[in-house]
Amino acid sequence: MLSQFDFSVFKPSLTFLWTGFLFSGNLTLIAMTGGIVFGTLLAMGRLSSLRPLAVIASAYVNLMRSIPLVMVILWFFLVIPLITGKPIGAERSAIITFTAFEAAYYSEIMRAGIQSVSRGQAMAGYALGMTYWQNMGLVVLPQAFRNMLPILLTQTIILFQDTSLVYAIGAKDLLKAAEIAGKNYNRPMEMYIFVAVIYFVLCFALSTIVKRLHKKIAVVQ
Amino acid sequence: MAMIEIRDVCKWYGGFQVLTGCSSKVEKGEVVVVCGPSGSGKSTLIKCVNGLEPFQKGEILVNGTPVGDPETNLPKLRSGVGMVFQHFELFPHMTVIGNLTVGQVKVLGRKKEEALEKGHALLERVGLTDFAQKHPGQLSGGQQQRVAIARALAMDPICMLFDEPTSALDPEMIGEVLAVMQDLAREGMTMMVVTHEMGFARNVAHRVIFMDHGQIVEDTTKQEFFGTPRSERAQLFLSRILHH
Repeated sequence: MLSQFDFSVFKPSLTFLWTGFLFSGNLTLIAMTGGIVFGTLLAMGRLSSLRPLAVIASAYVNLMRSIPLVMVILWFFLVIPLITGKPIGAERSAIITFTAFEAAYYSEIMRAGIQSVSRGQAMAGYALGMTYWQNMGLVVLPQAFRNMLPILLTQTIILFQDTSLVYAIGAKDLLKAAEIAGKNYNRPMEMYIFVAVIYFVLCFALSTIVKRLHKKIAVVQ
Repeated sequence: MAMIEIRDVCKWYGGFQVLTGCSSKVEKGEVVVVCGPSGSGKSTLIKCVNGLEPFQKGEILVNGTPVGDPETNLPKLRSGVGMVFQHFELFPHMTVIGNLTVGQVKVLGRKKEEALEKGHALLERVGLTDFAQKHPGQLSGGQQQRVAIARALAMDPICMLFDEPTSALDPEMIGEVLAVMQDLAREGMTMMVVTHEMGFARNVAHRVIFMDHGQIVEDTTKQEFFGTPRSERAQLFLSRILHH
């Protein structure tokens, strides 16, 4: 069976695949950064003593976590133009969707992280005269972030794999690029195998790093 | 005007009343020890003084400022009231000197150099000059608590609150922390100290408050308290704690 494969199609399609890979990578990095920032704010909202804020934040998180990602991707793609009045393109739509969606997952991690910092730490910050935002920024969040770093990175690996779902709206990520290249050369199988290997190598390498990090943090604590 | 004035303070956790009609005063320069069996509400009371715990009834004035008033700028009030906790609560992700400067720079708005100078001077004072660049986790409990006292002093507080500062320490480390506290007391710092250390109370306290079941049962001078406490509960408590 392998003898029927023609792997010579990789070389001419590399630049094309590279642009797709760059989009997947960018999407991951932007959604990670935006998702962690937005997710941290959501977590703070959920833990807030202001009832309405807690209710809204938890409703948002629960909603996002209960809907399949592909649906959210399609939804945003259809709904955003209705709000903005003009189409914004599959790539930008994907970035907004992933940031909004991943924020819900990062927020659950950050919520656990904030709760992992003892109440006494927050008290010590307040006792020094810090405001809520100073206490969060200087005392609680740095520790929460540090405690949760391995899990945040694991979530990012999942996020990187999930970016392949943007094929649903035709954004040109790594998978879409492989699909197009496969059609061009009429060698779809080879191309899918190739990107599968890329996904595997990257994700496996990253999760190995996370495992090491986990051990290192465990030792420090 | 008293430095700390507590008037008829009541506090409930849900339906459970933890403080019942507590009233007392701490004058400027006075050292007041708060003692009593565990669960008597002494830690809760001291946390009410700087508003770390809310209370539902009564009034607490710190240097004339009402703590329970929603109009009061609590961060500002707290920045002038030093607090030392049972479990030290140093910030583990900062160095020792970082712990001593963060409040000065971020809360009081001091310049970095000024804060560092003050921090190093206070480390010298608590005998930990060489530990500035270490992290709290690398220090013993007694050393951590001395850093915690220095951190509170770095804010130039008008009074200090101690919440069982030696209860989490190994016996051989209690002395070094008490020594720092005794120096402070002799320098005229206003102090409210929740502790079981009756030796400390005898040496430096002016007054002793004895609490039981959320109430202030006894509030007298040190001499009277150790001489002839009026309440049976206080007599029983003393006889137990002194015969160890």
